[in-house]
Amino acid sequence: MKPLLGTLCLLGILIPEGLGYDGSLAQPRREVVEETGSPWQSLDTYSYTRYHPMEEIYQWMIQISEKYAGVATQHFLGMTYETRPMYYLKISQPSDNPKKIIWMDCGIHAREWIAPAFCQWFVKEILQNYKDNPRIGRFLRNLDFYVLPVLNIDGYIYTWTTDRLWRKSRSSHNNGTCFGTDLNRNFNVSWCSIGASKNCQDITFCGSGPVSEPETKAVSSFVESKKESIVCFLTMHSYGQLILTPYGYTKNKSSNHEELIQVGQKAANALKKKHGTNYRVGSSADILYATSGSSRDWARDIGIPFSYTFELRDNGTYGFILPAAQIQATCEETMEAVLSVLDDVYEKYWNSDSAGKVIPATVVLGLLVSLVSIF
Amino acid sequence: MPPAVSTPPAPRPGVPRPSALLLALALALCLAVPGLQAAGPGPGPGPGSPGVPGAPPPGLLRQAARAALHFLNFRAGSPSGLRVLAAVLRGRAAVDARRTCRVDLEFTAERYDPEVADGRLGRCSARVVFRHQKPRPAVNVTCTRFMETSRSRREDFLLYKRAKRLRAPLGATSIPNSHGWIDPSLRPIWDLAFLGSSYVLWERTTQTLHYYMAQLSSVNQWKTNEDAIDFDYMVLLHEFSTQEIIPCRIHLVWYPGKPLKVKYHCQELHTAQEGSGTEEGSAVAPTQPNNF
Repeated sequence: MKPLLGTLCLLGILIPEGLGYDGSLAQPRREVVEETGSPWQSLDTYSYTRYHPMEEIYQWMIQISEKYAGVATQHFLGMTYETRPMYYLKISQPSDNPKKIIWMDCGIHAREWIAPAFCQWFVKEILQNYKDNPRIGRFLRNLDFYVLPVLNIDGYIYTWTTDRLWRKSRSSHNNGTCFGTDLNRNFNVSWCSIGASKNCQDITFCGSGPVSEPETKAVSSFVESKKESIVCFLTMHSYGQLILTPYGYTKNKSSNHEELIQVGQKAANALKKKHGTNYRVGSSADILYATSGSSRDWARDIGIPFSYTFELRDNGTYGFILPAAQIQATCEETMEAVLSVLDDVYEKYWNSDSAGKVIPATVVLGLLVSLVSIF
Repeated sequence: MPPAVSTPPAPRPGVPRPSALLLALALALCLAVPGLQAAGPGPGPGPGSPGVPGAPPPGLLRQAARAALHFLNFRAGSPSGLRVLAAVLRGRAAVDARRTCRVDLEFTAERYDPEVADGRLGRCSARVVFRHQKPRPAVNVTCTRFMETSRSRREDFLLYKRAKRLRAPLGATSIPNSHGWIDPSLRPIWDLAFLGSSYVLWERTTQTLHYYMAQLSSVNQWKTNEDAIDFDYMVLLHEFSTQEIIPCRIHLVWYPGKPLKVKYHCQELHTAQEGSGTEEGSAVAPTQPNNF
């Protein structure tokens, strides 16, 4: 990945910046209208400040990919245990240059409803604003967004039909005597070593083996296949108001820990500016609890540099059952945090505007080498 | 656990790596280069604990603060005066040979009800003693008031009057509902449920376990014909470190200004847990819990 980055940055310096975005024909902004009660028909009346059942989210994805056809496409990722299709949205502006990928998933834990709500909000914000808003527009020059609005679909549906506080998937174990694997303990990273249970009745059951669950397999295989291009892996949860860096399975720190903390703290500051909400930043083992088999740790260990878990509002007053009245404020502030991370990631790999900015060492070496070879 | 030490401020993030600075010096063309972090796999080397060696684990101070506030909420017996943790300011911990852990700390607290939260913080200091992984931490806590006593008495009495007029939905219920909605007319039920839960939350908090009230799942009894409110209900508690949901049945008797009476029983999980069974907490007792 590094030589490729070096080449990209070199190109960025040598080629004048003439590839401005097309600011013409800005898409008319549609204000979100509160739905009046009857089932909503079009994207114009889709409410981003309510919680939606899975059927509505499936429909929303189709409508997003229809309305924003050039930029947003829906893709199949895999099947859940109960044989439901898992889809992600790819947001990508067609261009010749190779893109890096930002991955975001929501709802790996069924009861954390604010997370899928945020994924939908995020998609809406990017698509409604990329043409008018230069900050967002520039991301799409070099980045593709891959958003999985609900990872644990079976579990999410179960929280709507049966048990609002269900967390796990709905896979069957022990001859149908117990149900569900904690998908965030099922990834292949120090699997089931700590902070997880081998007992299928437990809420942190790690599964029958690493990546035993179809949902985990679907995400793992896909992310693994794209790992050279993925620079940022964000997994959204609730609650606790935390930005977590690797690791949960050990108190040891990742090689880029300080940078992750710095970027995370900047994101928490940006978040706080919006509505005053306090987030804490730290490694999972330090400020949360020990866990093994988490997607964030796995993503970091296969080489994705910026890997974070977000634990959204609140701090326990309502916990998982966050009032819908707080969706807007939560999404607005979280958006600021994510944009801040994206700014830093973008700066790190593509910024060549002004003096005093970061130029990766490989670029400088590359320049030196080419200069030396000229003489 | 280490002997008593003061907790220094949290470590600052984002220090440039020495190797990167050397690189910057060596290459004349370089601008200041913050370290290009290697994107390789695997955790970096280093010792376990965060922060300064000898400092109490950061989680422990928060545990102590929570235990202190649950205890305070129970003792105060005031549904309008319920407080939750805002931030830990400073603290230290000491452990003796029997692994009893004594925590002294200062923290800020804010009003529980976010709708009326006005950003005002109360300042608290507390001593909390955890017996090794056992429940019922001993608590000695004082907080500055964020509301005058007369006002909280008035609000409690208003709540009491609303509660007396309230016809509660008996039987299985979901408060809040799945979307986090609590009917304003049922608000007194939620506030009293949390007040009663405070006793349970205090008792069950240990060095590692802490709980939140997730949902009210049933109203078994809501008697208001006599002076006191007699409320028998079930709540679902969420334990944070295990992520488990624990159903508890709670029976409280409340009259504004009088000590709160609480009895409870929580369903234990299939895996062996600290038994807590049925307890009676009466604030008629002296300021220290009965068994200390």
